Amino acid sequence: MKPLLRGENITIRLSDFHLDHVSLEVEEGDYCCILGETGAGKSVLLESFIGMYPRMKGKIFLKDREITHLPPEKRELGIVYQDYMLFPHLNVYDNIAFGLRKKNLSKETIKERVHAMSERLYISHLLDRDVQTLSGGEKQRTAISRALVTRPQVLLMDEAFSALDVTTREKMRGFIRDLVRELGTTVVHVTHDVDDVWALASKVIVMFDGKVLQSGPPREVFSRPLPGQVANFLGACNVFPATVAPSQEGELTSLLIGKGKASLLSADKASPGESVIVSVRPESITLAPHRLNISARNQVPGQILKTERRGPMVWVQAKTCMGNLKAILTESSLEALELAPGNEAFFIFKASCLKILSRKDQARQLIK
Amino acid sequence: MKTRIFRGSFAAVTTLFSAMLLWAVLSLVFMPRWEEVVQSAFSEEMIYSIRLSLLTSLISVAIVMVLAVCIGYVLARFTFPGHHVLRTLVDLPMAFPELVLGLCLLLLFGHGILSQWLKGFGINIVFSQAAIVIAQVFTAAPYAIRVSYATFRGINPRYELVARSLGYCEFSAFWHVTLPLAKGGLFAAMVISFARCMGCFGTVLILAGGTRMFTETLPITLYLNISYGNLAMAMTSGIILIAISLGAILVFELLNREVML
Repeated sequence: MKPLLRGENITIRLSDFHLDHVSLEVEEGDYCCILGETGAGKSVLLESFIGMYPRMKGKIFLKDREITHLPPEKRELGIVYQDYMLFPHLNVYDNIAFGLRKKNLSKETIKERVHAMSERLYISHLLDRDVQTLSGGEKQRTAISRALVTRPQVLLMDEAFSALDVTTREKMRGFIRDLVRELGTTVVHVTHDVDDVWALASKVIVMFDGKVLQSGPPREVFSRPLPGQVANFLGACNVFPATVAPSQEGELTSLLIGKGKASLLSADKASPGESVIVSVRPESITLAPHRLNISARNQVPGQILKTERRGPMVWVQAKTCMGNLKAILTESSLEALELAPGNEAFFIFKASCLKILSRKDQARQLIK
Repeated sequence: MKTRIFRGSFAAVTTLFSAMLLWAVLSLVFMPRWEEVVQSAFSEEMIYSIRLSLLTSLISVAIVMVLAVCIGYVLARFTFPGHHVLRTLVDLPMAFPELVLGLCLLLLFGHGILSQWLKGFGINIVFSQAAIVIAQVFTAAPYAIRVSYATFRGINPRYELVARSLGYCEFSAFWHVTLPLAKGGLFAAMVISFARCMGCFGTVLILAGGTRMFTETLPITLYLNISYGNLAMAMTSGIILIAISLGAILVFELLNREVML
């Protein structure tokens, strides 16, 4: 399948920032999230698609057509910004109808399409309102309506939910997910919020310092983040260097981890003697006061160093033979297990949860 | 105690200066006898002067606004080598004494290649009524350009990018989005330009001359009548100029508080 939107070696030099040979592909119907910290170059990349940087190097293709040097009005891309960019001199109706008025449509057709889109986005009762009197969620829905009503090939969203409060953001995620599925719209959504990726993305691209470091389906990227910046950003805190042991247990790979040479099992494949980096996500770990007779193959004893409440969850940090290990529990689990700093406990996780992130050369880089 | 001294001394300086300024203005308004002011206001010379001032100022403002919109937009949106030099250049007449600006224009339109070229078409600018407009344009344009530049810089260029993503070409995006958003600032620029054109004296005097009932604008009327010793006429033109300036400042304050000069 050919990608719908493709960027090849996009390089942009700004006074204080460089976007460095970025290449990416977005397929038709994808909801692609570009994830990264503030200043990673996500928005610059997004705006390069729309034509904000005519002096950029590299190429951009929409289907098979090169659009690198086309003016923004010829690119068939729509954009929605974090701060909405609704035209303050126009009301909601005129904002939504703005793009349609350039398409030589009759007044009736414009009216029909504005009403249809506004009904779909639950803002039909706001059409006469001044945009400055709208709430954040209403403004965002108006901005999305304005972009989608012209039926762009790709909808670009720049931190589109960042300015919204937590509740509205949650609603908007559900809302946009249903809408783009219904319309079959391809979306490229720039965000620094991991929750946006979990809730919406079919593909995620992780950027740091103007470079794409990793891309793929969210589950794949989150379970096997590249060691270093990506792993840290995605919260892969239990990252350890390991050596693949010569003995294998059936389909599973034996690993020697940490100074204590803890022997653990992973469902990932590796050759004996290889140096690798492994990780287990804190939410994949269960705690027990003693060893359990269950299918989970990895049961690591440790001493709890500290517990830290974060909302309804509790982060437990312990000293184990692997090194310092972090796990997340609910508050009620912690109370039921009567775990407190100083107590001994077993950290239990499946072989499938212990992921091999990278091998040899990347491992060396991380160990440094 | 220190805070009191600090605040008190600053407030005293402010009050003293404001009082002196008000006193100076009021002395112009209250010193003449009002019968004389009314008589002077309806004299043939004053009516001619008011008419000529209004006509030339309106033409000048129209030209100034075209310049201000174009140059202000170029400075706010385009990046090019010499951007800073251009900004300084268009601001330059603000720092010049009007008489020096007038002299520069006199040399340009009276003695240079441009004057020869214009004379080839039978056009003589110097000491004509057209010279009033040119003098007013060069005097007022830097102020209008500065306001227009600040206004366009204050408008997020992403509005234009959104408009263009919706199918509008660069000019259409400017026309349908940027220009309506700049309305307040551009109106302020217009008001300031009008006030500057109406009050323009030195540049007009040098380039257009101070010919009675020909190139006689309100400031020239004031100057000529002071020279003849006709104080009532001078004060009347002063009062009219103050009224126009006051009106312009009030409109500016009401409509454009957000424009930072």
